[in-house]
Amino acid sequence: MIYSNLSGNQIFKNKTMKLNKTFQTVCAGSALLVILFVSPAFSQTNPKLSDAEVASVAVVANQIDISYAEIAKKKSKDTEVLKFAQTMINDHNAVIGQAAVLAKKLGVTPKDNAVSQGLLKDAEKTKKALRSKSGNAFNKAYVDNEVAYHKAVIAAVEGLLIPETDNAELKELLQNVVPALKAHLGHAEMLQKNINK
Amino acid sequence: MKIQRVVFKKVVCLLLVLVTLGSCSSPSGETTPAPDIAIEEPKPAMHSVEITQMKFFPAELKVKKGDKVVFVNHDLVTHDVTEETKKTWSSSPLATDQTWVLITTENTNYFCSIHPVMKGKIIVE
Repeated sequence: MIYSNLSGNQIFKNKTMKLNKTFQTVCAGSALLVILFVSPAFSQTNPKLSDAEVASVAVVANQIDISYAEIAKKKSKDTEVLKFAQTMINDHNAVIGQAAVLAKKLGVTPKDNAVSQGLLKDAEKTKKALRSKSGNAFNKAYVDNEVAYHKAVIAAVEGLLIPETDNAELKELLQNVVPALKAHLGHAEMLQKNINK
Repeated sequence: MKIQRVVFKKVVCLLLVLVTLGSCSSPSGETTPAPDIAIEEPKPAMHSVEITQMKFFPAELKVKKGDKVVFVNHDLVTHDVTEETKKTWSSSPLATDQTWVLITTENTNYFCSIHPVMKGKIIVE
């Protein structure tokens, strides 16, 4: 019985380590791709992140899109743009909530780091550019940014994160997020088409 | 007198028979016997449309008039079900695991007004 318990603990430990490693790998990949596509200024770096730092980056990446949407809600008067922005706030908050549940399950506490700070710094530039515009120019800039952002994240999740993931729960979460990202992209492209008419 | 009474009774009986037969005839004059067994109306069927992975499944559903369609949201995010052409009806926002029932009366194209790329169709046969 003692041998059996020890083996069980060892198996649990190994599984936990593997899960944490997978989570770290996936989130590090995610962070890198977000940086490559969304923050070109950081494309030369090769971040090595702990699980806690990766969790921070994942949360920040979602929060950034929410912050863009909050600007849109203040600046835009276009009903369709406002509806889209509210959807981004609601849906990305839902994703953050789900990621938080998984992080808690894995015993990861988000920790501020250079990458998340860098993402925030780049986002500040984008937000400044958005705030400097008004009317239809703002709507166009906001929607164009949303199209580019979602294309980048979809490519990252499908092309690297899902194939790299071993943990079934994590893979499932990523797979569940992709259709939402694609729906957001489709919605943003519909708006883009109308704005450019 | 006796013969007259008998004739009178026969005439009354004949009139009663004619009146009775007349009340059973249709406006066109043809008689239609009352049905022996009441024909039961078919009960409305229940159908299900699952909202999952940002899609309505099945995206196209064939039903009979009066059937019920239950929409169930299995996604993490909130959806709704809205008539697409003129937005004549819409469900309230459906959070995860919430359901909404539509009683079908006519062919309908619908979509999620929160995520307009999500579309579905109900065909009443």
